[in-house]
Amino acid sequence: MTKLRQHLGVALGLAMFGACGAAWPQNSPVGDAANGKRAYLAVGCFTCHGRSGQGGAMNYPASALAQTTLPLEAFSVLVRAGPNDMPAYSQNVLSDKDLADIHAFLRSLSGRRPAKDMPLLNQ
Amino acid sequence: MPTKSCNAPAAGRRKFLTGMTLTGAAALSAPVMSAGAQQSAPKNAPGVVPQPNLAAETHAPPSDPVSQTSSGGDFMVDVLKTLDIDYLAMNCASSFRGVHEALINHGGNVKPEILTCPHEEIAVSMGQGYAKIEGKPMAMMCHGVVGLQHATMALYNSWCDRVPVYVMIGNIIEADKRMPGAEWVHSAIDPAALVRDFVKWDDQPASLQHFAESAVRAYKISMTPPMAPVLLSLDGELQENPIPDAARLHIPKLAKVVPPVGDPGAVAEAAKLLAAAQNPVIVVDRYARTPGGMARLVELAEALQCAVVDQAGRMNFPSRHPLNQTFRSRAVVGEADMILAIEMNDLWGVLNSFSDRIVRSYRPIVKPGTKIVTLGSRDLYMKANYQDFARFNDVDLAIAGDGEASLPGLIEQVRRMVDAGRKSAHAARGRKLAEAREALREQAKSDATIGWDASPITTARMCTELWAQIKDEDWSLVGNAIRMTWPHRLWNFDKPYRWNGFSGGAGIGYNAPASAGAALANKRHGRISVAIQGDGDLMFVPGTLWTAAHHRIPILYVVHNNRAYHQEYMYLQAMAARHGRGITNAHIGTTLTDPNIDYATVAKGFGVYAEGPITDPKDLGPALKRAVAVVKRGEPALVDVVTDPR
Repeated sequence: MTKLRQHLGVALGLAMFGACGAAWPQNSPVGDAANGKRAYLAVGCFTCHGRSGQGGAMNYPASALAQTTLPLEAFSVLVRAGPNDMPAYSQNVLSDKDLADIHAFLRSLSGRRPAKDMPLLNQ
Repeated sequence: MPTKSCNAPAAGRRKFLTGMTLTGAAALSAPVMSAGAQQSAPKNAPGVVPQPNLAAETHAPPSDPVSQTSSGGDFMVDVLKTLDIDYLAMNCASSFRGVHEALINHGGNVKPEILTCPHEEIAVSMGQGYAKIEGKPMAMMCHGVVGLQHATMALYNSWCDRVPVYVMIGNIIEADKRMPGAEWVHSAIDPAALVRDFVKWDDQPASLQHFAESAVRAYKISMTPPMAPVLLSLDGELQENPIPDAARLHIPKLAKVVPPVGDPGAVAEAAKLLAAAQNPVIVVDRYARTPGGMARLVELAEALQCAVVDQAGRMNFPSRHPLNQTFRSRAVVGEADMILAIEMNDLWGVLNSFSDRIVRSYRPIVKPGTKIVTLGSRDLYMKANYQDFARFNDVDLAIAGDGEASLPGLIEQVRRMVDAGRKSAHAARGRKLAEAREALREQAKSDATIGWDASPITTARMCTELWAQIKDEDWSLVGNAIRMTWPHRLWNFDKPYRWNGFSGGAGIGYNAPASAGAALANKRHGRISVAIQGDGDLMFVPGTLWTAAHHRIPILYVVHNNRAYHQEYMYLQAMAARHGRGITNAHIGTTLTDPNIDYATVAKGFGVYAEGPITDPKDLGPALKRAVAVVKRGEPALVDVVTDPR
């Protein structure tokens, strides 16, 4: 349990870092993004994080995941443990392969655009 | 019951009606209804069903009058007219037919004007939304038993939201005056018992003078902070019978209601703590109850250059104000050494982080030793059964008094205590907060770009497109979907009527009718009212759309159509994940699909201009523009937008 907490702490730190949009060394995407999209929708990741990985809220804010900068390992720790109110996705409901594919799908999303170039967002 | 003794038995309502039946029937259709013809039928002839003796059953006593020149209902309307009530929302019901008729024909259907609602929940919710914009109650009337049962959810929302709604119900107190059938199942000895846990005061007047006094008392009680709904049960006989002693009736004067102000010594102590603190934070919820409330809070915050965390129960603080730190609540609360909580209901929830796991746990966000002062009217009136008062929180000083009324004294004390040295430190604090606020705005804009062109349409795109259409109008957001933060993150809420808060009790079915009520209040000011409307909420009270069309209420409903009761969808996922099973089944019982609901067609059926379902974000702006044009003409409109969940 202590080890899990340590991993989770690291992962949460990375998640916060990633949420700021800073560069982070990435593993090469190893998953199947198409299957990842299917799994992302099927197991309900989209309900809190949005179909485009925009983020959202359950009881507390749910982070934006599009183009996540989390490495797969840290991402897996988060998904398996479920920080805050996030459901902890065990292997019973989400296989390692599907989890890796979801990671690849999130990496494939278009993510953020420069807001300053979008007039609607500057009014 | 002096009223009854003056008229009994000949002037009783039921006998009066019997007389009416005989007279009317004779005039209209003598051959059919002729008692003589009925009597001439051979008794027990083959194939002839024995008929009742209609003559005996319908013949009125000679003394039974068929008309009257006054009624208790007329007097009740006269009393209501002294209370400055503009509207009365209702679904018609026989138990208050006496007042209903008097409202129309004695009162001329003005002050109050009747709003026809196809459900009592709609009527009460309209009053809730209306009061939060107009600052005074709307009246509502319903059947004392079955109507009130429909109204309960909305009454509970109003109670939790601390909003005055003036409720009247019909009842028939005397058993021997009740017609067989519906009047028995629609009568009760204590109809208000059903809602007494969540109305502030109720009465069942026994005479017209009693009504007059209780009507004025009810208004005064409902409008005294903490505000809440009140209820009067009106006996049918009292409404319908002639006034026996008109010369003796007196309508009491409604005095100006002055809200309670916090103790000056305690206010001075709070000011001292605020002035001396390194990082004071103001957290606020149902605070602003008049157009002046927001300006006072701005004045206090600017005097201190301190952070404000707005729980948005009312239009408390401008969204783009540099000191508005709402979307970094945890950070500023965590750094605070002094917290002033104004009209907060759930302070504990702001100061602690709660984890909804198998073992439910929490941890404080606030630092040990942080001074906490509460200011509000919450402690002045509370009830025990329903737990809307939330968890108890340790505080250092609890000032009982209306937040808005107490603020001028607090501001004056703070100004007195902030010397030049402190002013300089405060200014530096304010600059840091302003930088953080600007960063929040940039973050919100960046977040909004994700999935910009996606379909279903992101909620950020929907809110941004809507903002583009209303930002140059005199707009008012009168309703919002659950946990939809984009408007407050992206829009410029800069006037007291830009927003009017949430449901209070989190009871679904609030948003559509409360928004219509608020829009009615905005109508006379020429404002454009918009409501971001959850699809699940609309399905509880779709008849609201007809009321909006019928009464020409200018409001734009933008349906946030995620085709689900989405919060529950997420909770079900959490349960399935906890059990390690069937997480793909979370849609069962939580979604509104198969068939998808076509809200535009539904709205058109109610006479409302509507477009949708819109799935391509490129189509949204033009559709909203057309809909806003309809609203500007004074009519309701609806745009159904198929959206991402949140």
